[in-house]
Amino acid sequence: MPIILLVKTKSNDIIRGMNSFQANLCLLCVTLCWSTEVIIFSVIPDSVSPFATTCITSLVGALLIFLIFRKRIIDEVSGNPKKILLRCLLLGIMNCAYNLLYLFGLKYFDVSSGAFTFSMTAVVIPVILLTMRQKVDLKTWLSAGFVFIGILLAIAPTASVGQTMGIIFVGLGCIIRAVYIVILNKYANENDPVTLSSLLSGIVSILSVGLWFAFDPSGFGKIPWNDQIIASLAIYSFVIVAFAQTLNIFAQKKSTPANATIIYSTEIIFSTIWGVMLPASMIDKTPLTLWIILGVVMVVIGNLITIIPSHRELQDES
Amino acid sequence: MKANIKTALMLILTYLILAVPFKVMSVIPGFTDIRPVTMLGPIYALFYGVPGCTIFAVMNVVMDAVSGELMWTSIPGLIANFVGPFLILIYWKRFAKTAPRLKKLGNILHFSLTLILAAVIEAAIITPWIAILYPNVDWMLFFMTVTINNSLFAIVFGIPLIILMKEELGFKQKGLLRIPDKKNN
Repeated sequence: MPIILLVKTKSNDIIRGMNSFQANLCLLCVTLCWSTEVIIFSVIPDSVSPFATTCITSLVGALLIFLIFRKRIIDEVSGNPKKILLRCLLLGIMNCAYNLLYLFGLKYFDVSSGAFTFSMTAVVIPVILLTMRQKVDLKTWLSAGFVFIGILLAIAPTASVGQTMGIIFVGLGCIIRAVYIVILNKYANENDPVTLSSLLSGIVSILSVGLWFAFDPSGFGKIPWNDQIIASLAIYSFVIVAFAQTLNIFAQKKSTPANATIIYSTEIIFSTIWGVMLPASMIDKTPLTLWIILGVVMVVIGNLITIIPSHRELQDES
Repeated sequence: MKANIKTALMLILTYLILAVPFKVMSVIPGFTDIRPVTMLGPIYALFYGVPGCTIFAVMNVVMDAVSGELMWTSIPGLIANFVGPFLILIYWKRFAKTAPRLKKLGNILHFSLTLILAAVIEAAIITPWIAILYPNVDWMLFFMTVTINNSLFAIVFGIPLIILMKEELGFKQKGLLRIPDKKNN
């Protein structure tokens, strides 16, 4: 999708950048893209390692971004290659670590509860920010509070002692993801977002090769290649890796880590909608209980508090 | 001239990248007509003007031909896929006389309304032909599918892409050249 950017004309106009409302809107779009993973990958059999799909799609996404912005990326990297590569390596390792923990943790939950527990990042992040001695405003605490209540409402009725290990895995994953978002937000302000996106995808792809062969050594041969699978991998590479990830890093520049994470929690809402609308042949359907509906409502309220700018914010923007 | 050819090729390539995988993959079984490529219509119109609208419309027919779906209804399809983006361009250029800024909720709603109206007009151009040539097709369902496809993807994915292109990557809305970017539209 972002190949359209290749045709950029030379312009002397000053680029002012998106405002915080636009950044929040873009983050919402990014979250919607992420939530469609279950739809795009529905044609891929469960026997295919998730690291295999991550490896292929990240590689294609990284190459696509590089082809479009090669001059910009080369310029950025040639400035201080070691610094930016180390930064992307750190982000790539954290990205793989929290995804691995989520993968192990998800085995203890059904799809719906799993999606809710992932969103604990929105609750963890204000605490992480505090430990880093960063200011967290009242609005963020309020939003995080509503999201937390939403998660509790949705998962508490079905929670059991047997899920303790799952909660530990997902909890650790959420902590790592929270730190990842804080660091990504910092780097997005200091480095070129396009370069970060391309290098990060490339590094995630390389790390995924290792995990792929560690967990499933049969490799390429196990993927039942056909038109549908190639199309789904292409869609994921273009839409989720190249487009959504780049948009995410640009939006992070104008948002705060706390705001971004709260908006990411809307993935629960989208997942619930897909769960209701899509056929059972595509996703594991879970019953839409009153508790889940209440949980989703709380997450919506938490997000509205974050997304809708206050009178003071509007004045600051203008 | 060379730059124009390069731009046209890039627009064609972008269209193919977004259209081909969704032609091959049946995203939702039993509901095959998912066309995110429609989000490019308003983008091509606003950033590349009439040539952008033309490329968008022609590529739709090319995709029909390549996928073996070339029918008599491809002609109204060609017209509709030109008219929809062109109307968006004309509205902002001649009537609103400002580039869509998309900086506030009001701006977004205003722009979304023009996208929905253009989608309804596109559907209204194609649907009568479908009703006449293919009486067995549920024309109301077809009308709704075209309207939703053409407006939803443009609103949900097109608007963030326009924001990214305009605000962060410095693309000029060439289709709206000489139109001032008013402070409050």
